[in-house]
Amino acid sequence: MRIRALAFLLILSSSLFAQVTEQQLLQPPGKDWLTYNGSYNSQRNSELDQIKPSNIHSLVAQWAFHVNSGAPMQSVPIAVNGVLYFTQPNALYAIDGRSGRLIWDHHHPLVKVKDREGPQRGAAVYKDRVYYLTTDDYLIALNATTGSVVYEVKIAETTEGYSAPPAPFIAKGKVIVGVAPGDRGLNGWLEAYDADTGKKLWHWDAIPKPGEPGNETWAGDSWKHAGAATWMSGSYDPELNLYYLGLGNPSPDFNGDVRMGDNLYSECMVAIDLDTGKLKWYFQFTPHDMMDWDGSEVPVLVDAVYEGKMRKLLVQADRNGFYYVLDREMGKFLHGVPFVTQLNWASGLTAEGRPIRVPGIEPSLTGTKVCPSSIGAANWMSPAYNRDTNLFYVVALEGCGLATKNTETFRPGGFQYRAGGDVLLHNADWKVYVRALDLITGKLVWEQERVGNMGLGGGLLSTKTGLIFSGELNGQFVALDAKSGKTLWHFNTGEGINAQPMTYMVDGKQYVAIATNTTVFSFALLDHEKGAAK
Amino acid sequence: MRMRFTYSAFLVVGAFSYALAQSVVPKNPFGHGPEVVAEGHAIFNQTCTTCHGMDGSEGERAPALVGERRFFRLSENALYDTIKHGIPGTGMPALNLPDESIWKIVVFIRAMRSSASEVDVPGDVAHGKQVFSGKGGCVKCHMINGEGGTIGPDLSNIGAQITLKRMKEALTVDGPIPTGYQPVKVVTLKGTTIEGVAKNQDNFSIQLLDNQNHLHLLDRAELKSVEESKISLMPHNYDKVLSREEYNDLLAMLAKQATVNLHKKVEGDGEVGR
Ligand code: HEC
Ligand code: HEC
Repeated sequence: MRIRALAFLLILSSSLFAQVTEQQLLQPPGKDWLTYNGSYNSQRNSELDQIKPSNIHSLVAQWAFHVNSGAPMQSVPIAVNGVLYFTQPNALYAIDGRSGRLIWDHHHPLVKVKDREGPQRGAAVYKDRVYYLTTDDYLIALNATTGSVVYEVKIAETTEGYSAPPAPFIAKGKVIVGVAPGDRGLNGWLEAYDADTGKKLWHWDAIPKPGEPGNETWAGDSWKHAGAATWMSGSYDPELNLYYLGLGNPSPDFNGDVRMGDNLYSECMVAIDLDTGKLKWYFQFTPHDMMDWDGSEVPVLVDAVYEGKMRKLLVQADRNGFYYVLDREMGKFLHGVPFVTQLNWASGLTAEGRPIRVPGIEPSLTGTKVCPSSIGAANWMSPAYNRDTNLFYVVALEGCGLATKNTETFRPGGFQYRAGGDVLLHNADWKVYVRALDLITGKLVWEQERVGNMGLGGGLLSTKTGLIFSGELNGQFVALDAKSGKTLWHFNTGEGINAQPMTYMVDGKQYVAIATNTTVFSFALLDHEKGAAK
Repeated sequence: MRMRFTYSAFLVVGAFSYALAQSVVPKNPFGHGPEVVAEGHAIFNQTCTTCHGMDGSEGERAPALVGERRFFRLSENALYDTIKHGIPGTGMPALNLPDESIWKIVVFIRAMRSSASEVDVPGDVAHGKQVFSGKGGCVKCHMINGEGGTIGPDLSNIGAQITLKRMKEALTVDGPIPTGYQPVKVVTLKGTTIEGVAKNQDNFSIQLLDNQNHLHLLDRAELKSVEESKISLMPHNYDKVLSREEYNDLLAMLAKQATVNLHKKVEGDGEVGR
């Protein structure tokens, strides 16, 4: 832990920098895009209405900002008063959202650990600061106007195998951070830090220790190298004061023999009290998973009528192939159906939401065909929800894998601990879609195939004007009609997309931006009338 | 990837020849104390200034040994080797000096080239801090470890970033205004005046940070006028407005500001750096 504070007595003129307040963070995404998924409920449905189906034909590129080197970008830009903040592994850029010109950048030098070069998914903002996490496990707080370091806190031991890919999540002045050790046999956890001081406030272990409820779901000592990583940014309900996050796979990924039991809280949706860090409820998507189906897909919070009653819902399209509707107050399972057709491991869900397994459909020594593959029917690409259409939009992958297991054992020091894997069966049936599901029933309303794509690619953005923006792995950035799925606009960025689109407004002009592997692109209407839009 | 491959191949070769030469690598017997630096300084000014300039500045027939050149020798052995054997094919001759003198000159050159945090800067650091936030007024414009103003560069790592010589110049000599700190005054078409520094600019836009720590994202088409000041916001008269003691203590304190020793990291045992 390295916190620097200075004893200097400061007499400063009070800063007029427009600060990001708690109140702003409670709003749906409009002019600003303040969190990884735009707002606490992660609906990714923007209030901006300048770009719409009737004028989208004149959407044109405004600028591109290229970043040299580094891993393919997976970052979602954050927009505050026209300034975009986005990350590369171990770097953060602040650029002018109108012109794409650099304002400042921050680079975090990796001094020791060279091999932790995992992804980085974005920044978080609060008051006059920007926060991000590094591959060597620092939480860094920067001054938003200059990029000056305010503090750096070491949150995990990198040499043990931890890295920290999520965008930090900030609510009520608490910065929530997580780690990605799940394929290395290390246990996940969540931590909250005081945004102002960098002081640790609470720690929650994703794997219960002996004597704690849930530890009995791990045979023998298997809980010690058990996974359940916390590698995404979650969602938050301010009224219930609950933070929702889907947890990663159990370790080892593919051989369940050494960890008999349900393996809590791997692949659970957990609801954590934001103030205390205590678990309020959990719901496990795939008990005793053997296919690396992290439950980390984005939980989307929607208040909607369910069976005649207004309810606080949480919906998630899980990597295991099922779409789930939960009550987010108590974590009760309400409804679940498959959202892919290639699903052979379970014949359905029980009334409690537990999968009914098909015997034998699991990794074996010689290989078994399991659908979905270990990539999953969905993954971390953000879904979206539009209240007007009442549809849930998700990037879905139809495909199977030939899954094997082996008897590899755990080795300390951050080595892979998967004990198997699967060969992706890239046949004619392997396809990627954007699918629109009825929020409540999960029934397919429309789908758009991402032709020519072999992988999931980037996620989705909805606007209240009835558009769905979608970034494809092959580089196409596409706008779809939210009602019909018809393609309304497309732009070939010329490079793979692995990130989620966002939208923002500066000086009366709406922009839509997305990061490709090395470049952030921003688009706006060609014939936009500045004065009229204000 | 090709680049990387060549680079590592080069390193391997380098490591081999280094291993072979290792048994005969000479060693600096004197350490790096201020007296050694002073002796080396004197010998340099007597012996080398037929070509190089006084005190390591630029001379008639040879480049400055301090300054902003892209590549130069940093490690003691590389410098020793250059002085002992010259640089073949250039005007730098092998100089027939006793080893002791060579080593003292090496220590002197290293001290000129080292970042301020690596050299001995005498002074009262605690008092330097008081000057920074008090009489000097530095804290209004500069941040150190998260505290202070934003219009000037963050100085948390300044000791590791620049040489002592450069540090003194920053406080006392007018120089070109670095990118990101150009003072500008713009008037918008609506008549609003904004003053601050241009963090970035091109023919179409200016990213302006004003004196109240507010960023303005300006399109030049919306501006009536843009005025650039020739004078930096950084005052360059601190040798005059501060007492000698205050000035020295401030330098001692600034030299200590080193969060990441970037300089050390790139140097390694390498021959070129910074
Ligand atoms: C006859 C002229 C001459 C004399 C005398 C001379 N130099 Fe040089 N020196 C040069 C020239 C010319 C170069 C530039 C060589 C090149 O082109 O790289 C040079 C380069 C160097 C360099 C390498 C520059 C770098 O940036 O690393 C060092 C070190 C150096 N001289 C040290 C000395 C020292 C110490 C002395 C006195 C003991 C000395 N020189 C005396 C002409 C001279
Ligand atoms: C009115 C604002 C202001 C004040 C007061 C001020 N500075 Fe500066 N300083 C700047 C700006 C702007 C720059 C960058 C532009 C330049 O170098 O001309 C700068 C540059 C510097 C640099 C060079 C940094 C580098 O990376 O090369 C140093 C060192 C420095 N200041 C130290 C100080 C110290 C010490 C004080 C107090 C004794 C001080 N400054 C007071 C605004 C200020």
